[in-house]
Amino acid sequence: MGPGRSRLRTAPFGDPLAGVLLLLALLAAPAASNARQYLQVFVKQPYLELHSGPGRGYPVFHVVARDESVDVLFRRTDWFKVRTERGVQGWATQWDMLRTVLADGSPFTFNVGERSGFTSHRWELGAFAGQYGGATLISAYGSFSLNSQLAGELSVGQFLGKFSNGVVGDVGLMHLLVPEWRVSPFLMLGTGVIYLEPKATLVRPAQRTEQTAYVGGGVRYYLARRFFLRAEYKSHVVFTKRNQNDKVDEWKLGFAFFY
Amino acid sequence: METGIRVLLLTVTLAALSGCASVRNWYHHRSEVRAARAEAREEAEAARNEPPQDENAPPRVVEPEVARRKIKVPKIHASNIELGLHYGALSIEDFGTNPSYGVSAAYHVTEDFFFLAETGRSTAGRTSFETLGGNIQLLTRAERHFTYYDLTLGYNFLPGEAFIGRGLALTSAFYLLGGLGATDFAGDKKFTLNFGAGYRVLPADWLAVHITVQDRVFRSDLLGVAKLTNNFEARIGTTVFF
Repeated sequence: MGPGRSRLRTAPFGDPLAGVLLLLALLAAPAASNARQYLQVFVKQPYLELHSGPGRGYPVFHVVARDESVDVLFRRTDWFKVRTERGVQGWATQWDMLRTVLADGSPFTFNVGERSGFTSHRWELGAFAGQYGGATLISAYGSFSLNSQLAGELSVGQFLGKFSNGVVGDVGLMHLLVPEWRVSPFLMLGTGVIYLEPKATLVRPAQRTEQTAYVGGGVRYYLARRFFLRAEYKSHVVFTKRNQNDKVDEWKLGFAFFY
Repeated sequence: METGIRVLLLTVTLAALSGCASVRNWYHHRSEVRAARAEAREEAEAARNEPPQDENAPPRVVEPEVARRKIKVPKIHASNIELGLHYGALSIEDFGTNPSYGVSAAYHVTEDFFFLAETGRSTAGRTSFETLGGNIQLLTRAERHFTYYDLTLGYNFLPGEAFIGRGLALTSAFYLLGGLGATDFAGDKKFTLNFGAGYRVLPADWLAVHITVQDRVFRSDLLGVAKLTNNFEARIGTTVFF
């Protein structure tokens, strides 16, 4: 991809979408503007290879010699877009960038997605499929780690059943028993809400929202890079307005990543 | 679920929440860090004010009056999130092909994989049964809205470059999609699987143009017999990387 100039040449600003694109361009402009201060790193290996795109297959079209510097423009997945002293822009892999140094000689460090990140990370996001009280469930979750063992979690799901559909939302704590294991068990505790829409039959029951509480457990299995599998079971209690509370079992399997 | 199992799980959970123990010490931990920093500052101050202890050292001629500059290391912007709009045609099985539109959000995890969340809407036409049958209406106006939303995993199958003339190379990728979601149609929500493929080309690092074909499959008994319906959508979209 060319430097800033080629963007103007290529952006299709002539058609009716121009307004929208221009707006989006203005929103995105800070990321691309030259007024920004970029981090400068120095090449310490014999040379730094620049690829023409952010992927392992893109050809190397330029090399930066030892002791020369590059400005780090931004990062996309495992690749850094950099600009050399002469203004050449290209993509360097994170593994090569790990061997560069900052102006004070200290190594350039950043978060690489690997096994150590699985043990301790800040954010994770994932998607699940499973069963919620006999209905099919699809859900997504996000979690924020307070330390390597304890995380706050938020999950939202939709269940689609024979007799009713609904939406569930949970917020709670997740506790990892042994974070450093590849197959890592965890326990959960939290509260949530359930919005239930019973399907129309002879008598149409009312839609309702109820509060829930849950306790559960599961395992996470580290796959590779930033990815892991997660299987879990939650036992919910639904606090109904009737005399008896409902109990609902939730089983699900999902695919998640950490950052 | 038996109450006994729940009680057991609850007990195990509470007993094992050792992670909370470290949370409990956070405040004290921070105060220790603060104390250490204050101590370091005092030492630095003392070292600056005190004359050198060494008798043999030459006397200081010039007192350095250099204020230590605070260096702010610029943060590196991570541009992994892609937000956009799309417009296309959705073929709803038995209900004809109609315009569709929607929004999508993607997160690129590695150069190969990305997660995609999308939602879109179309309006179903008339079935041939309704057209031939005269005044028959299978669905109300509101029930004809076809709304889908899903969570999808994408795989950049054939990354590459597209060339415009001699001087311009645009990064591009052919990608495969597969995911789960729900479809709200004909007064009911259905569990929906989706499969698809698309092509993405980036005119600039922050802008992408997509052409995507996706099939949404769900079980429907709307026309008397329960069957799997295939609903193909072809669309063009534009997204911006943040």
